[in-house]
Amino acid sequence: MDMSHYRELFLSETREHIERLNELAVSLEEAPDRRQTINALFRETHSIKGMAATMGFSSMATLAHHLEDLMDSCRSSGQASAAVIDSLCQGIDLLAGLLDDIQNDRPERDMADSLVPPGEQGPSASSAEPVATPDRLPAGVTAIGDPEAGDLTTAAAEFQEIPACQVQVRLAEETPASAARCLLILRELEKIGAVTSSRPDITTLRQGLPCPQIEVWLQTTRDHAAIESALSGISSVASVRVGEDRRAVPRRENRAETRSIRVRTDLLDQFINLTGELVTQRNILAAASRRKDWDEVNQVLAQAERLIGDLHHQVLQARLMPLESITGRLPRIVRDLSRSSGKQVTLKMTGTEIGIDRVILEELNDPLLHLVRNAIDHGIEAVGEIHLAARREKETVIIEFSDNGKGMDPQGLRRKAVAGGLITSAQAEQLCDPDALMLICQPGFSTAGQVTDLSGRGVGMDVVKAAVNRLGGTLEINSEIGHGTVFRLRLPLSIAIIRILLVQCGEVPLAIPMTRVHKTLEIPGYAVQRSGRDRSFRDQEEDVTLVSLAEALGLSGGPATGSIALFVTERHGRRVGLQVDQFLGQREAYIKPVGFPLNRLTGLSGAVIEADGRVVFVIDPPLLLEKHLLAETHRPENRMPLRDFDSGQLETLKKISNIGMEQAAAALSQMLDRDIRLQAPQVSVTRSSQVADDLGGDTADRAVGVALEIQGDAQGQLLLLLPQESTDQLLSLLSDNPGEALEMTDETASALKEVGNIVDPARNAVCNLMHEIQCFLAE
Amino acid sequence: MSRRVMIVDDALFMRNLLKDIFVRAGYQVVGEADSGETALAIYQQTRPELVTMDIVMPDKSGLETVRDILAADPEACILMISALGQDMLLAEAIVAGAKDFIIKPFKEEQVLDIAKRLLEEA
Repeated sequence: MDMSHYRELFLSETREHIERLNELAVSLEEAPDRRQTINALFRETHSIKGMAATMGFSSMATLAHHLEDLMDSCRSSGQASAAVIDSLCQGIDLLAGLLDDIQNDRPERDMADSLVPPGEQGPSASSAEPVATPDRLPAGVTAIGDPEAGDLTTAAAEFQEIPACQVQVRLAEETPASAARCLLILRELEKIGAVTSSRPDITTLRQGLPCPQIEVWLQTTRDHAAIESALSGISSVASVRVGEDRRAVPRRENRAETRSIRVRTDLLDQFINLTGELVTQRNILAAASRRKDWDEVNQVLAQAERLIGDLHHQVLQARLMPLESITGRLPRIVRDLSRSSGKQVTLKMTGTEIGIDRVILEELNDPLLHLVRNAIDHGIEAVGEIHLAARREKETVIIEFSDNGKGMDPQGLRRKAVAGGLITSAQAEQLCDPDALMLICQPGFSTAGQVTDLSGRGVGMDVVKAAVNRLGGTLEINSEIGHGTVFRLRLPLSIAIIRILLVQCGEVPLAIPMTRVHKTLEIPGYAVQRSGRDRSFRDQEEDVTLVSLAEALGLSGGPATGSIALFVTERHGRRVGLQVDQFLGQREAYIKPVGFPLNRLTGLSGAVIEADGRVVFVIDPPLLLEKHLLAETHRPENRMPLRDFDSGQLETLKKISNIGMEQAAAALSQMLDRDIRLQAPQVSVTRSSQVADDLGGDTADRAVGVALEIQGDAQGQLLLLLPQESTDQLLSLLSDNPGEALEMTDETASALKEVGNIVDPARNAVCNLMHEIQCFLAE
Repeated sequence: MSRRVMIVDDALFMRNLLKDIFVRAGYQVVGEADSGETALAIYQQTRPELVTMDIVMPDKSGLETVRDILAADPEACILMISALGQDMLLAEAIVAGAKDFIIKPFKEEQVLDIAKRLLEEA
């Protein structure tokens, strides 16, 4: 049975309970005798206790049980002392830590030392003792009749009845395609039990990387001998070790694919309704088109468009979560920070009920934290207020984060940026005040130069800006000295549908997310400056590197015209121009992820489907540029000069090559049942572009080349060059009629390719020996 | 009764090599396909007990062909034949449902051992 489903639910629900505990703890501090708050805290801890015990997380259950006791004692005494609240806060933090441990598959952390009793005696005697010894867990805890935990209880109980054991399988050394072999092992084990997890997991194995052994958690009723014999038929298995039985709940890996969200049932009902209506419309449409009733067709199409719009809207709704799901913990953080800094800070939040796409919320988590920290550390002096106000404006959400502290001085920021070497004083003078405020978002600003009191902000502001940009949003800063600072984050509600720029690049149209496009430009050809292979142009008083998109993609660009169309994007904070043939326009598009093997291509982030059914690939410029500019530095003319090898070193290289050749010859001999010898008579070091010349090739001589790729730790290429004559010989050897020369046809070409594959032992040998060569070169 | 085998490989050389191995061992080679495109039709006509499948073929890959054949006949017994260095594709083929694999260059006994084991399991 699959436990991951429950685990996911457990994690998300517990996370919510902890959020809620944090909020309640802060309100308890404001009104320590409010019965309602105490009761609510009691209920929350009780729920966590029940779920954790059911899932077998004993440390968390023990801790929650203790907190429940603590709240129970407050119920009887009618109020919570400051010491109790402190102790409660510590406990909540510890719960969050334990949850992190569980989420990351770590063993639960030891809590015995973490939760020391408060200096003074709490109202309950038990709270004064260290709490985290699992044996203190009362017997009743594991059998809680909590209604919401009911399903979990039975599920977990059933699951735990079948013992799990760990099976460790080692493969023979140098087993080829070891990942595929491990997948076969997993399949065999599935036949005699349930595999609950494995290391490496299936997702990792599918990447085909070498793995000399695999560890599997297997739930089975069969004995060790049966497990071993199940694997006996598999080749390349060197050893099988079956560990001791263990009754713990094994944890499922590769959960990334099964992230669950909770959707209100009424929303699901609406999906069903809309889908039903769409089906009806399709039937009407089919009938109308059979009748060739075009008026009716158009009418139905208009209907369908409305329905699809609704459906899209509803689906997006399902992905929305209220902003308060991440702001919920802020009151608690403000409380702790103002305490530790000795300041008196209050937090006011409005509009946090607004729904935002969960992906965006996840990204906003850290930025909000940075903003809160900055406001308390640097903005507010002794007493002040932070205000977080969210509101919707059409399809965007605006989050205004303001404080009534001392504000920032643009002039001070300019001075500091110049002192830190981030900009020149001439550039500083040209910055308007709002731009000067944005200087705090420059990476390294806060550490550059002396941090003055007034301009001390900047801790992590680059992180904030980067996150907002990544989400396709913008960040504005307003500040008034003596009155405070406002950070305005403008964010899209949802990112599943985004705006794209369509461009023509050689033969193909391509799409670029508008969030990656700073602007589009057309410049005259003469405005391009050249220096060697590099091209650049002036824009906003800055030299901007110009790269051809077609070249970066390895496509042939369109014919050169008078002007150059380009869009400006950013890589590592520097602006780069990407030249295209033509702009085709902008539009909204739903980006579909691309499947294997396209998803392995760097710089390709997805695809959109055009109205005519054509697939247009979406390019991610920063990643693509990364790859392109990296390749560029490896061009021969940009490369370091060839190193000199002495004759001894060349001799060693020759030996290394000959070992590979010998293995290839042995393999060929074996397959053809004939004695074949291959030899590398000489070794020289040359540039790859000169290989043909160095081999004495002359355009008049025809040669056949078989190129082989070397993958793995050390990468490279093998080029098998055969003179036409030898090729004929080899082909006739391989064909059914020895002695007869063959024409170079598709068939013989494919046979030759096979020859390439047959010399694979050579490739294998080279792979292994490449290391030696590398070590050798390093000397 | 002799066991019925089908060979899918774009290289004539490999097909002949495998055919010789199987025929010498008393198998019956009931079908040969030189491409993924033709493989499914030949499979449907001949319904072999074992298929050897080259993983890298032009146009339609062995991986796609495996998926197609298994979609048509979930019981199909497919043995992948691959050169070294195709680990990722091989892993995908196993996930797709291929029964086992052999790495080129292979020995005659290797092919026959695996074929025997697969046919016994089936």
